Amino acid sequence: MAVNGRKFRRRLVLFLVALAGLPGWAQQPKNPDLSQASLEDLMNIEVTSVSRKEEKKSETGAAIFVITQEDIRRSGATNIPDLLRLAPGVDVARVDANRWAISIRGFNDLHADKVLVLIDGRSVYTPSFSGTFWDLVDVPLEDIERIEVIRGPGGTVWGANAVNGVINIITMSAVATQGGLISAGGGSQDHADALLQYGGQIGHNGDYRVFGKFFDIGNSVFPDGQQSADGWLTGHAGFRSDWTLSQQDTLTVQGDFLRTNESQTITTLFSNALPLTETFNDPIRATAANILARWNHTLSNGSEMSLQLYDDYSRRVEQGFLDAQNTVDLDFQHHIGWGPRNDVVWGLGSRVIASDYGNGYNFTIVPSHRLDLLLSAFLQDQVRLTHSLSLTVGSKFEHNDFTGNEFEPSAQLVWTPTGKQTVWMSAARAIREPSPLDDGLEDDAASVPLGASFGIIRITGNPQMKAEELRDFEVGYRALVSKRVSLDVTSFVSLYPNLESFVAQTAYLATQQGVPYVVLPEVFVNGDRAHTYGAEFSANWNVTDRWRISPGYTYFLMHLNGDSSGLITQPGASPNHQFQVRSLLDLPHHLNWDNTLGYVGKLVVGNIPAYARLDSRVGWRLGEFVELSVVGQNLLTPRHAEFLDATYPTDYTLVERSVFGKVTWRF
Amino acid sequence: MTLRPLTAIFLGMLLGAPASGQPMDEYEVKAAFLYNFARFVEWPTQSFQTRQDPIVVCVLGRNPFGNALQEVIRGKSIDGRAFVSRQVADAEEARACQILFVSASAGKHFRSLWGSLKPAGILTVGEAEGFASSGGVINFKLDSGRVRFEINLDAAEHAQLHISSKLLSLAEIVKTEKMP
Repeated sequence: MAVNGRKFRRRLVLFLVALAGLPGWAQQPKNPDLSQASLEDLMNIEVTSVSRKEEKKSETGAAIFVITQEDIRRSGATNIPDLLRLAPGVDVARVDANRWAISIRGFNDLHADKVLVLIDGRSVYTPSFSGTFWDLVDVPLEDIERIEVIRGPGGTVWGANAVNGVINIITMSAVATQGGLISAGGGSQDHADALLQYGGQIGHNGDYRVFGKFFDIGNSVFPDGQQSADGWLTGHAGFRSDWTLSQQDTLTVQGDFLRTNESQTITTLFSNALPLTETFNDPIRATAANILARWNHTLSNGSEMSLQLYDDYSRRVEQGFLDAQNTVDLDFQHHIGWGPRNDVVWGLGSRVIASDYGNGYNFTIVPSHRLDLLLSAFLQDQVRLTHSLSLTVGSKFEHNDFTGNEFEPSAQLVWTPTGKQTVWMSAARAIREPSPLDDGLEDDAASVPLGASFGIIRITGNPQMKAEELRDFEVGYRALVSKRVSLDVTSFVSLYPNLESFVAQTAYLATQQGVPYVVLPEVFVNGDRAHTYGAEFSANWNVTDRWRISPGYTYFLMHLNGDSSGLITQPGASPNHQFQVRSLLDLPHHLNWDNTLGYVGKLVVGNIPAYARLDSRVGWRLGEFVELSVVGQNLLTPRHAEFLDATYPTDYTLVERSVFGKVTWRF
Repeated sequence: MTLRPLTAIFLGMLLGAPASGQPMDEYEVKAAFLYNFARFVEWPTQSFQTRQDPIVVCVLGRNPFGNALQEVIRGKSIDGRAFVSRQVADAEEARACQILFVSASAGKHFRSLWGSLKPAGILTVGEAEGFASSGGVINFKLDSGRVRFEINLDAAEHAQLHISSKLLSLAEIVKTEKMP
């Protein structure tokens, strides 16, 4: 359709040109070489500021927060989870030195399954567990252009699993990272952190960067003061190259290889030695590798096409369980203005995931080898109804191997009465598609004493699982109150009619080495219902040209009604209140002094008390190329707990007060 | 068939048509201006270490050019100096630049630039109201959909840049205003 439409328009233009008696050149040469033009010529050219996608974000009908490179540099954070604490509405909790529970709008746990995380368009959501392994989400922080945090459903564009939010980590073009970069740091918790990077040119049309990085994070402590064995080492190498193939075509090719060596303390059963429960240090070994190519083509009518192909491989051994998968993903998108009022984006995607599973200490996933296919298409149209009112409607259509056809529609109405104010409202449906674990888990989860014998709670997957569904309604307001003050408020109501839960089956007898015991089976069903509501606020106040203050506040409440024990979805796993205020101050002599004060309300799950964090950073530029910085983290208390995942055997540790120093040298 | 814009403009004027059929992207035009500025500005000799040192065009703030800036400067040279473009994060990194474009996304933060930039040898170009009158050398403006520019001669002199009369004749000359 689009192609025919363009052809038609081109013919129409030619026809009108012919009518006007003008020769064909009136069509205007495409992308003339302006550098040959004189100053006078340039001054006579009429220009247009085509509203770029990025600029449109101020007019978007969704709750979005952008963490910029400056925010990243001045946060003092040494890892991506800590950076995400900068975004209001993101619930970040450290479970031990190498694990985090991160979610948006509730449902937090070690494998929070309702937030989709992408690095340069590549999904790092692990399908087997439905969640993100944050220890493998590593990007040199100096190379990140921005992190876009979208709260609320993003299924229409991003598809399944973009239920409560999308976290988009976007790295800089290789053009912007030319030259050398060495950074080295060390401290009380992050013992060593080093990055070596070089960016250069390939011929006349290409730019590249290559990097190698390494970090060593120390053990943390348990609540009883004992030292855990959760320290870890990661080595990571990667590259990105950006090519200008022609005036209309750019190509990006990038890849990473990452390996970690970690450990965690777990308390778990052994299936072959029931009912033995043991607490011990469990080694985690993970390898991740990926390669991605993305081709962008801009047509002379301003429409843009992109074609992206990637291969992502990961292999993880944890709790004795092998989880290996290879994902090949092909994605096509086309963005085109359709007449004066319509701005259309459509796309097609396919994803093939090959998985292999081994046997863990007490669980496995069957079958041990799977090949899953996901096909998708989406169409979204932004219609300009009046000068100040626009309506965006669209839907994703997907076919997955678990539940067949799914659709994820959304509608957003955006009103911009003045250039400085935006009011929006939206309604959307999004889904979390069942995972291989939901489908084929076999887990001896716990043992209970039963007279002279014992009982085993055995959780099994259910191939009949339906997709978890969200129906979401939001309103938002953004305003540039004055030259120095801007604010953003969002409020939402979210309905979850069929959340995953367990249901008990009939108990039966089994024997182990001649000893009889009772199996208490539980099976996954879509048995829980929940509704959540809340509000998120953020603001920016440039007090002076050298001092910026950014406060943020999040209120969240969940009601769960269901027929199960509620172990999977737990309302008390997310705080009702979160508050944060950042201060970025430029001092004389090239000094920065940056502070972040955060408050997180108490969690019922795990009985985690409310806590406050204060991070303080001093940065000092020495000449053109060197920067020194020292950051103190969690300065208010010597140590505090952040999260306990009751459904997972990982024993939680405390987050300690720490200090970290770093030298960055660019050459 | 492709035509130089000049020819298109000439024919366009002859026929009373708009200068070009479709307006061009603002930043493709601004990129071409940046290259042109280099042709009409002389830098102090200490700006370069060797005769072959390139002219470094830097962008501070979010890069609005896409690939347009690279397209314009690719393969170009002036007096034997090639061009390179670079994104910079702050005034400190901008010290190695000959041309520093401060994009609109940097907002009013440019006022804090003047203290931290080394005075000599950087042609600062902005696109925000008050950029030149607060101490920047050149500032882009849009006037009925066309790109115009202001030049602050005091700022140019302070930066030890010599600007040719040709460029000055096309510019609106502004003076440094005291900050309120």
